[in-house]
Amino acid sequence: MLSYIIRRVFQSVLVLLIVGLVAFAMFTFIGDPIDNMLGQERTQEDVERLRERLGLDQPFVVQYVKFIISAAQGNFGVSYEQGRPVADILAERAPATLELAAVSGLFALSLGIVLGVFTAIRRNGFAANLIMGTSLIGVSLPTFLIGILLIYVFSVELDWLPSFGRGETVQIGGWTTGFLTGSGLRALILPAITLGLYQMTLIMRLVRSEMLEVLRQDYVRFARARGLSERAVTFRHALKNTMVPVITVTGLQLGSIIAFAIITETVFQWPGVGLLFINAVQFVDIPVMAAYLMLISLMFVAINLAVDLLYVAIDPRLRT
Amino acid sequence: MFRFAAISALALTVASSAYAESFRWAGTTDPQTMDPHAVNSAPVLGFLNNVYEGLVRRGKDMAVQPALATAWEPIGEGEGWRFTLRQGVKFHDGSDFTAEDVLFSYERASSEASDTRSWFAPVSGVNVVDDYTVDILTSAPNPLFPSSIANWMIMDKGWTEANNAARPDKENGNYATLNVNGTGAFMLKDRQPGLTTTLAPFAGWWDEAEHNITEATFTPIDNPATSVAALLSGDVDMINPVPIQDAARVDERDGTKVIRGVEARVIMLGFGHEADTLKYGAMAGKPNPFQDVRVREAVAKAINVDAILKTIMRGSAESVSQLVTPAMSGYSDANADRPAYDVEGAKALLAEAGYADGFSFGLKCPNNRYLNDEAVCQAVTGMLARVGITAELEAMPVQNYWPELRADNFDMYLLGWSPGTFDHEHPVRFLVSTPNAEKKLGSWNFGGFSDARVDELLPMIQSEIDAEKRQGMVDEVTAIYQNAHAYVPMYVQPLVWGTRDNIALTQRPDNFFILRWVTVN
Repeated sequence: MLSYIIRRVFQSVLVLLIVGLVAFAMFTFIGDPIDNMLGQERTQEDVERLRERLGLDQPFVVQYVKFIISAAQGNFGVSYEQGRPVADILAERAPATLELAAVSGLFALSLGIVLGVFTAIRRNGFAANLIMGTSLIGVSLPTFLIGILLIYVFSVELDWLPSFGRGETVQIGGWTTGFLTGSGLRALILPAITLGLYQMTLIMRLVRSEMLEVLRQDYVRFARARGLSERAVTFRHALKNTMVPVITVTGLQLGSIIAFAIITETVFQWPGVGLLFINAVQFVDIPVMAAYLMLISLMFVAINLAVDLLYVAIDPRLRT
Repeated sequence: MFRFAAISALALTVASSAYAESFRWAGTTDPQTMDPHAVNSAPVLGFLNNVYEGLVRRGKDMAVQPALATAWEPIGEGEGWRFTLRQGVKFHDGSDFTAEDVLFSYERASSEASDTRSWFAPVSGVNVVDDYTVDILTSAPNPLFPSSIANWMIMDKGWTEANNAARPDKENGNYATLNVNGTGAFMLKDRQPGLTTTLAPFAGWWDEAEHNITEATFTPIDNPATSVAALLSGDVDMINPVPIQDAARVDERDGTKVIRGVEARVIMLGFGHEADTLKYGAMAGKPNPFQDVRVREAVAKAINVDAILKTIMRGSAESVSQLVTPAMSGYSDANADRPAYDVEGAKALLAEAGYADGFSFGLKCPNNRYLNDEAVCQAVTGMLARVGITAELEAMPVQNYWPELRADNFDMYLLGWSPGTFDHEHPVRFLVSTPNAEKKLGSWNFGGFSDARVDELLPMIQSEIDAEKRQGMVDEVTAIYQNAHAYVPMYVQPLVWGTRDNIALTQRPDNFFILRWVTVN
């Protein structure tokens, strides 16, 4: 058991290190931050001096090792663009992304389950077919298109919701929240739908197929035979038994909601870490990109590790 | 659902009426610092022009006006300039503006750590004569000096030193990176780097306020579709730029309008003059045809600039014959003609140069630097194909583009140039002079164009006091680079801003957005 855990942790660290190495190898292709940092009237000498000071004249492996050494000490360096510690910037931006991810996750889960159950029990109804049909849109339309579509309908044409940003936020300690103001809550609606739509349809389809499976089971038939109300059968007996795979998938999807918030954040100018990353790519702000990619991969590795360890807890055959 | 929507719509109208006197605008780039000496870039200097001021400033027509200095006059036979400072000027924190602040700001802005030190290359020293008189000495007569320092912003010595920001620190930042204590019409109220920056009018400003803004908020919006939507939905009052393809839509819609102008930026094609061989295309390694002036002239004749303006720029831009626009100083009509569009003439020139069958080469182009830059390069490629030469276009993001140009990886390239001093000398110094790292000349002359007479004339232009003589020399340089077809200047980049109908503002050709000229009706 212990050796298994140690082995898995070791593998996770290795994955992290490889992700970092690949990231740094890619940074050499995305251009040079120097021209963004120096003005029009820079000389060749200025360019070379700055390259040297930033360590950009060294091979990427050396840059990577330096980054890892200081990152291991909790120092992610200083942003080329803003001239501030990357850790501070990430801490500032994280609440926006996490709140958006939480709301869209909640939206996806609740609406996904409700619609999933509905389409399962009214399998051949008109409404259920309509929902199933339109859910294809959620799966097949790219996120940025959905976002722009929502902006044009609800902000530009109807003028109901703000077209960008987070609205007013309230500072609580080191955390900024948009949950406590009207404009903050309104600003959450469109990005949360955009980000959560894909997950919502995914959960809905999952719940529906699980429900259809469960509803065919004998114990559901017995429950009906016992004369229980249709509601009790559906929600107390059937739905409960579909929840295990749904929760597993939702947990795994939470990681991707945070990581793939990049596009949604760009479309809505949502001031989270995804937008920060996109800006960093454009500026070639290597410390910010590196820290972001490492944190995201850390998150995925941690989720996977947790899942693996849970399997060990559940499945005794792995405990040898 | 509908009741909920109705409620939220009602809530929105209530909320927005509270914002009636505030002004919100969006641009693509966040000013990366609030330190006016740390970064010499248009987004930073343009933004900081609202909070800091220089000894002089530029007016609505770009003319130099008194700001923190009320008058200036040359000292002796061109040993420098004497500036008389304005009295009674206060910084935002209430401290007085004096000559010590000017001296301090000179030391700070010309220090090793500053990005703006190239502005002070001609300066040999600064002397404080009394509290309200400063002498700025130059190593050679420098008639243009006062107009070259409109973006040199004066900081408060006491405040800056007390906050350990006596020198700019771009890499690690310091107090002045996030805070402002200027003399300008607006004060920094809140700064969240990369997110929003809020300004409020400065009650103690020395000049009379033209604007009626009570609060102004800037948000960088990167995605063009998002910023257009933000303007159309009324979430912001002004955006810069409006994508050219969306301009008509913004104009036609009730409640918004487009304000068009031309920027100071000239878009041109450059050649590899020094390279003996072609680097790209099927003929890589063969002798470089662009070393022949007839081939360069053929390129100039082959490009139908009017067609580019009509289709790609949708009529918003103007064609140009020189490296500066008519709005700049040092421009004269002496060289106003640009080569006419002439396919047959271009073919004849190519045949004469020995390229009757054409040739192929590599054209490098950015795809996110200038308005519709990649589309322009595609059009150029098509037009060159009509005279029989094949450009292999490679477009790339600007962060990859400059390193390619610096490494001489091109046969032909696209470049835009906006002269920081608004004078013709600027592009001559950076683009036409023979590259010379030591003298800091020709640092953007990637192709290595070189002409002895230009190199000889440049220092004379820089120090000539007599305006007529100076213009004569500038015209001579212009004729040289035009006849040599060192570059093919094509057009001036358009300025396309979008605003709500109730906003009145002034568009300046340097693309600086000056808040004190904005009125909300």
